[in-house]
Amino acid sequence: MVWKIVLLVVMTWVIVGAFILPAPQQAIGEASRIFYFHVPQAWVAVVAFLVSMVASVRFLRNGNRLEDDRARVAAGLGLLFSLLATVSGSIFAKVTWQSYWNWDPRETSILILLLIYGAYFALRTAVTEPERQARLAAVYAIFAFVTVPFLMFVIPRVLPSLHPSDSIVDESGSFAMSLETSVVFFPSLAAFTGVFIWMYRLGRRVTTAERLRIEE
Amino acid sequence: MMSNYTVLAVTLIIWFGIFAYLMVIDRKTRRLEVKK
Amino acid sequence: MPKNSIGLTAKSWAVLRKDIQVEFRSRYALNAILLFGVTTLTVVSFSVGQKNLSGELYAALFWIIIFFSAMSGLAHVFVREEDAKTATVLRLTADTTAVYWGKLGFNFLLLSLLEAVITPLFLMMTDAILHHFFLLLIILFLGAVGLAGATTLIAAIISKASVKGALFAVLSFPILLPLLIGVINGTTKALTATGGVTQASSELQLLTSYAVVMITASLLLFEFVWEE
Repeated sequence: MVWKIVLLVVMTWVIVGAFILPAPQQAIGEASRIFYFHVPQAWVAVVAFLVSMVASVRFLRNGNRLEDDRARVAAGLGLLFSLLATVSGSIFAKVTWQSYWNWDPRETSILILLLIYGAYFALRTAVTEPERQARLAAVYAIFAFVTVPFLMFVIPRVLPSLHPSDSIVDESGSFAMSLETSVVFFPSLAAFTGVFIWMYRLGRRVTTAERLRIEE
Repeated sequence: MMSNYTVLAVTLIIWFGIFAYLMVIDRKTRRLEVKK
Repeated sequence: MPKNSIGLTAKSWAVLRKDIQVEFRSRYALNAILLFGVTTLTVVSFSVGQKNLSGELYAALFWIIIFFSAMSGLAHVFVREEDAKTATVLRLTADTTAVYWGKLGFNFLLLSLLEAVITPLFLMMTDAILHHFFLLLIILFLGAVGLAGATTLIAAIISKASVKGALFAVLSFPILLPLLIGVINGTTKALTATGGVTQASSELQLLTSYAVVMITASLLLFEFVWEE
């Protein structure tokens, strides 16, 4: 219970700080404030994928439907956050480089993640029998995850960007991050992760309860 | 465009809204587990 | 009779041979895939034929043709079994791994045939110039292995779905992306003067590792899809 209050406070601080404190990247200007929201969203999308994959592996191993509930909820949140990340990134791109989409490496990666989540749910919708749906979805989640290392190494090499792109934001995102920026960024990362964990727990409760109700 | 303060206010409202929504769901689902 | 009395290779070969025989009678998948390929190629050639485009564009167009043709025909190898209700018999009589290897082999042959038909036609019907023949050959081979390797498992997955439609393409595309990037870049190098096998070493590495990883992952996951 306490941690939810903490979460409320931290996220409120993040939002206030993001807009009151100086913009993280002066060269880009005010739009760079989106960085505080966009990066944690992408981070959560990836974490969600990991959770979903691990749960899928567990499900194939022990057949416990609880694991499938976990995989499904995590994937749903992953879809939500990768959508948010794609949109926030696109807005940032429009304001900064005057175009919504550039096939820059990071943009492409988050889009692919979005496509994988979309495919995952397309598959789940297409298989009606519950046990089979869980099994096939788990296989796909794992199979899709296997391609991620390839994407991580291939895409940056293959799509060189004329744009300064995230490399500028990254410079402030890595060790060169100023104190003012860190003070908003890291709490934001924590707050978004906290929101994810909370939504994940809630989603699991609902999904499992739903499933048990149907099974009766 | 809009001033930073406007965007700040809107974002805060959105966040409070999301938080309230999550709290409601939290309460509702807690009853679900107690029921079992 | 102990399972290992006949080797895995022999069993896989049996599955493959049966599939080839059945396919030969109806030629359903073959027709679908070739027809799609040639039709798409014709459209491409019609709109682009006389213009002199860059190697990159030709490479992209070529693999678009191959990719969509593959999507129209590679799922057949499992869907046919389910539709004809022969899947149950296959499950009972054949070793799971042998089924996978056999089906993989079939899809690889199908793709190789597609490539063998489309590649010369593509070169004839467009202004693309093949500078490095050997490189293209390797890429076609690795591309076919990778494409078959990644999609055979997915074909098995969708054969169990109640609504198939575009599901095969939707599931395959994100997973095939590294492969598509690799083959398109590699083919670009085969179609440009400055390319060549040594220039394309990173693409060849990518394609080889992709094929190995995807087939290995498929082997590990296949039983969860196949067995009820």
